[in-house]
Amino acid sequence: MEQLNRLATGIPGLDELLKGGLVVGASYIVQGRPGSGKTILANQLAFNHVAQGGRVLVATLLSESHERLFQYLATLSFFDPAKIGAQLQFVSAFDTLEQEGLDEVVKLLRGEISRHQASLLIVDGLLNARSRAETPLDSKKFIAELHGHAAFAGCTVLFLTSSQLDDGSPEHTMVDGVIELGDTLLGSRSLRRIQLRKTRGSGALSGIHECEITEDGLQVYPRLESLYSHPSGQGSGELTRVASGIPMFDRLLGGGLPAASVTLVMGPSGIGKTSMGASFLAAATTEAPGLHFGFYETPQRLRLKASALGHDFSAMELSGALHIAWQPTTEGLLDEVGMRLLRLVEQHNIKRVLIDSLGAFTRLASNPSRLNEFFRALTGELRARDVSVLATWEMRDIFGSEINAPAPDLSSIVDNLLLMRFVEVDAELKRLLSVLKVRDSYYDPALLELVISDQGIDLKKAFAQVSGAMSGTPSPVSGS
Amino acid sequence: MSTILVVDDEYLIADILRYALEDRGFDVELASNGQKALDVLKGKRVELVITDYMMPVMDGGALAVSIRAEPLLQGLPIILMSGAQAHMGRDNSGLFAAVFDKPFDIVQLMAKVKELVDAPEAS
Repeated sequence: MEQLNRLATGIPGLDELLKGGLVVGASYIVQGRPGSGKTILANQLAFNHVAQGGRVLVATLLSESHERLFQYLATLSFFDPAKIGAQLQFVSAFDTLEQEGLDEVVKLLRGEISRHQASLLIVDGLLNARSRAETPLDSKKFIAELHGHAAFAGCTVLFLTSSQLDDGSPEHTMVDGVIELGDTLLGSRSLRRIQLRKTRGSGALSGIHECEITEDGLQVYPRLESLYSHPSGQGSGELTRVASGIPMFDRLLGGGLPAASVTLVMGPSGIGKTSMGASFLAAATTEAPGLHFGFYETPQRLRLKASALGHDFSAMELSGALHIAWQPTTEGLLDEVGMRLLRLVEQHNIKRVLIDSLGAFTRLASNPSRLNEFFRALTGELRARDVSVLATWEMRDIFGSEINAPAPDLSSIVDNLLLMRFVEVDAELKRLLSVLKVRDSYYDPALLELVISDQGIDLKKAFAQVSGAMSGTPSPVSGS
Repeated sequence: MSTILVVDDEYLIADILRYALEDRGFDVELASNGQKALDVLKGKRVELVITDYMMPVMDGGALAVSIRAEPLLQGLPIILMSGAQAHMGRDNSGLFAAVFDKPFDIVQLMAKVKELVDAPEAS
């Protein structure tokens, strides 16, 4: 199978959407209302292409001056004025369009492509060409001719337009791809989004993806489930065990948690989920480092918490056995945070991760119906990289037997399920841990009491004398 | 009446300059690139050229070189106005009577124009 040559956009995330970049010699429409980021996308691409040794011609059909554009672009980090006039040419075809018409614009730009040996042509203001066209056929012809001349010279073309052209418009039928930028309101928050509406002759990650504009320009976050619809690897085929960080628990599980599995610890606030997580991380080594991917505790508070359990996290961090990445919940987009986790795993060759908590991800989701697919892709990818995961999920009720699961169809996401409960026994509040499910292994189904001390966490089979402990208000077993 | 040739592919800037110069009593010719400017110079006597640098077909640098190579146009002063390429004009100071950065100060530019061309009677 032949691969098409690609022109990498250098825009983070966009090349992943385009499966490598724009197709060399193809033509694209970039559309979106004013302010949606077309100009930034195009110029970021232009400067990146020049940095890779390409030559770019930017032709405007608009009356806005280039100097104003430069003043605006100067606030963005990719802008490099030294390239302008050299490898990057800005010309205006507005006057030619007004005075002489579309045919002359084509002639002018054809000459400019060869004069500058441009490998990328950006035409801004397609709407003006359309309004100058006498019939829809003329604007079709304009695109076709310009693309024809450009393709002949191996030059890729981008047409920018602020009009909302629909799929059946003559312009769309003439180009190889359509990139649409826009935004949606979510409460009082405005979310930027990008969608590839058409990609001829090449795969692409379809659907809507979130993006943002920072001083570094456009940044696209492909939907994690589209990026990892197939995990990047198969993972190890062997069934091995990893230490849970609680020796007694490992014994009950027959040697530890299954390696490269995802364990979810559910329980109310204050029950000790993060403490269990800290013990899990304390079992990390320099050969198999751990990552704390937390949303609540700052690194300082986490170190204190670990130290109260007898674990020296600072020393582990120094030796490279542990990495702490704190994510303030108020920031970030779902896919961005997911990617950040996977990048850290890759960067530090992480083999165990504590996600504290999975619920924080749900708060970042602009579209909750995606969450199941998102978690599936994320945990699938972590398994494929042989990473053992412990994730926490906070339940609303401190007592009571109602359990609200993080997402429907939990079994596709989670391999092992642990439930924690407060239980009142003999006027004393105890912490109960029960194992609901463990992948590929037998386990002791006894209800366990979790005892937290400065020696770490210990488990005891403590509820033999009561029944109904799971409800939070047990009664003595009759006859005892 | 003195005639000034304004060369810029950016219609808006060419127009602003034309109005400013006409207000001060000059005749103004417009050209949207260097090649069109040379065509104008063949058929008309011009006292001053104000040109942009980055333009299609022929840029401001090539235009200045062509003008300097033409025996009949030896005394013709050229002002370069450019943002990104102003330094190229300054590096070739023999070609240009003055170099202005875009966006330029219209008052300073007009003062330079009057210095280079005998001011016509104010209208």
